[in-house]
Amino acid sequence: METSMQANKEKIDVRKREVGKISSIINKLGVYVLVIALMILGTIISPKFLTASNFMNIIQAVSLLGMVAAGVSFITYSGNFVDMSIPCIMAFSGMIAVDTLRYGIVVSIVCGLLTGSAIGLINGIVVGKLKANPIIWTLSVAFVGNGFMRWFYSGKQIYPDVKGGAAADVFINLSRTDVFGRIPLIVIVMITFMVLGQFVMTKTKFGKQVKLIGSSYEVAKMTGINVNKVVCGAFILSALATSIAGIFLTSLAKTGAFYNGEGYDFNAVTAIVIGGMTLNGGRGDVVGVLGGVLVIGLLSNVMTLIGINTFSQSIVKGIIFIAVVGINARSLRKLGRDDA
Amino acid sequence: MDGKEILSLDMRGVSKQFPGTLAVDSVDFQVRPGEVHALLGENGAGKSTLMKMIAGSFSDYTGDIYIMGEKVELNSPAAAKAKGVGMVYQELSLAMPLTIAENVLAGRIPTKGKIFADKKAMKDQTIECLKRVGLGHLDPFACIKEISQQEAQLVEIAKTLGNNPSILVMDEPTSSLSREEVKLLFGIIDNLKKQGLAIIYISHHLPELFEVADRITIMRDGKKIGTYNIDEVTTKSLVEMMVGRPVDDTAVEVQNKVFGEEKLRVEHLTRHGFFHDISFNVRANEVLGIGGLSGAGRSELARGIVGADAINSGKIYIKGKETKIRSMSEALANGIAYLTENRKTQGLALRISIGENILSPLLKKHTKNGIYSAKRGESDVLAVMKELQVYPPDPTVTVGNLSGGNQQKVLLGKWVATKPQVLILDEPTRGVDVGAKMVIHDTIRRLAGEGNAVIVISSDLPELVALSDRVKIMKEGKFIGELIKGDLSEESVLLAANGEGDKLSGNIYAS
Repeated sequence: METSMQANKEKIDVRKREVGKISSIINKLGVYVLVIALMILGTIISPKFLTASNFMNIIQAVSLLGMVAAGVSFITYSGNFVDMSIPCIMAFSGMIAVDTLRYGIVVSIVCGLLTGSAIGLINGIVVGKLKANPIIWTLSVAFVGNGFMRWFYSGKQIYPDVKGGAAADVFINLSRTDVFGRIPLIVIVMITFMVLGQFVMTKTKFGKQVKLIGSSYEVAKMTGINVNKVVCGAFILSALATSIAGIFLTSLAKTGAFYNGEGYDFNAVTAIVIGGMTLNGGRGDVVGVLGGVLVIGLLSNVMTLIGINTFSQSIVKGIIFIAVVGINARSLRKLGRDDA
Repeated sequence: MDGKEILSLDMRGVSKQFPGTLAVDSVDFQVRPGEVHALLGENGAGKSTLMKMIAGSFSDYTGDIYIMGEKVELNSPAAAKAKGVGMVYQELSLAMPLTIAENVLAGRIPTKGKIFADKKAMKDQTIECLKRVGLGHLDPFACIKEISQQEAQLVEIAKTLGNNPSILVMDEPTSSLSREEVKLLFGIIDNLKKQGLAIIYISHHLPELFEVADRITIMRDGKKIGTYNIDEVTTKSLVEMMVGRPVDDTAVEVQNKVFGEEKLRVEHLTRHGFFHDISFNVRANEVLGIGGLSGAGRSELARGIVGADAINSGKIYIKGKETKIRSMSEALANGIAYLTENRKTQGLALRISIGENILSPLLKKHTKNGIYSAKRGESDVLAVMKELQVYPPDPTVTVGNLSGGNQQKVLLGKWVATKPQVLILDEPTRGVDVGAKMVIHDTIRRLAGEGNAVIVISSDLPELVALSDRVKIMKEGKFIGELIKGDLSEESVLLAANGEGDKLSGNIYAS
């Protein structure tokens, strides 16, 4: 027995060699290589870059995106790609919050969150239970929701200070409040979401169930996991985070409008994918997604410092998105982890 | 081997590395023109990897490959094809909705004026190819899904031959063929041999190799064990070389097993169109086999019992108590585990680790105060991995990187770790090698010996006979009878499955 064990050990040592050093480094550190590279680049480019206030700017600029991405990553993780109704949820929850301001700030926020979560629930039921294609379905929801908002509010924007009375100031200041003197509330909320998201994804039963579903839907089903419920949960969680971001966005814009949140869908996917979470599901984590969000923030900041205008910026962002997807796929293939 | 001979294929010191495993470890492999060279080894021995290397699936192998004396770089499937390597895969690589002609001529469809497909030429060329495999009578414009599985297998070969390969690799080409069709195939292989083709033949079916192969190379743990002329080896010596230890061929004889209390009883279970009026029971310490031809409704019955599919009528009793099982999670809660027949799509999540797969049915158990901890299950994981000798013995390895046999062990381990009272196994050793099979059977026997009930559904007759205490025979959705231990043999089960045989007793409960 003793000798056979030893023989076995030797055999393992021979076989256990890692391949493709660069691939495995990219795979392990993932997006943070990019974060550090951008920070070095920024430092070289501008002396203004390496200051506390500039960093706070960067984080503040992406904090709403961070909230959305933290939530939506659960949908991606479950193998359902992305929620295309993100902008609709953000706009809708914001408008309802503004509309209900006259009943007080608490009622307003609760109503906003309920609106967003309700859309998430519908998405969850249709995708989870009725097995609709998540992209097509949530895209349709986005269209219907958008149309509904325009019809209901006759295509008009609504303003907290007109609708809200006393609560309006509180609402508008939500996104302008600093905690501990200098850290904006939205940054705190974003960081909290990331920490909570990482915890839920990696340390709870729900997170592990989502991972198994994302890795293989059929296997999860045959392993006794209530896949409908879990997928539905992922959509609700995502919608809840998205609607919180939506309320902050509305507060920031001082305007409730059907077009609020435009572009957050693609930016969230970009952050998630750059963060190493493959669209197939079951891979990556929220720490990676945070990295993805930071990359987007740093990229805009560095490009602004260089003097690249907004339109050209989106071209650069798109190219980087494509490159990252390509590198990821390649390194996974090199490591023999593409799905057999 | 004399230096002047030109080899069809000459691989010198080739290796291929995967993370955590050296799948092929400096192997020399030579194939002469006009020979059938069998490649043999357990699952995970490195056969498939070696063949994928020849097929150009890897761009990062090391070592040299020579084809017809010329050094080649087989970095892509296209390069391999251009060098005359033809692959016939175990799983069909034909596009079902397309016609035979479109499949056979894929990538080289004759055209008129470089734009339009030339139907006449397509027809002629396809028939030419089909004739080489004895299928000249087929309509080239029939869809693949309209022809039988066996014909499709031969069309697959015809398709590969259409590229005029000098080396033909056949991976388990007979797995879906009947005895007559195997004869036909061997005739075709003989013909190709005479035309000077080098044929590499992979099969687990040893008697077949003695019929068709000229030489045989055995691999184990990524290394070549040796190459022999077929008359130098026997079935026994081959198995010993494959598993790397002397084989004890005396079967385990379990005498006078005492069965305990009834664990599961099913009464009049019916799902319209799949199974009808099924009644049986299974007791502690007992292994109940369910035999029958594929399509008899055995897997559907298992799915019905565990609640994966809704049943129309009938009752299920667990330890004598009537229990409604509406989903897999309810089945698990009642101590019933079901090992599905298809490990890749329903059994294991290939992208995650061995440990995560084994613990996947136990997420609830290892969650305390809302926090899930894989640490709590670690000892369970290591215990089942040790018992089943999963290789590599590292729970963090991704399941997709394991060989078929080891994947199957992990799949069994996943359900064993739930400590089921009733374990339903659907084809527990499909496509695994002798070594893995032995380990899996030992574990099944241990489980049954510890007061649990086991139901084995298997098309592998020796397995069914060796494991079962009694076998229910299923045909067209019904139990047509039962064979008890004394009457169990491969022949009796096969006869019974076809509705014949005098040993078959009526459809009654045992005891």
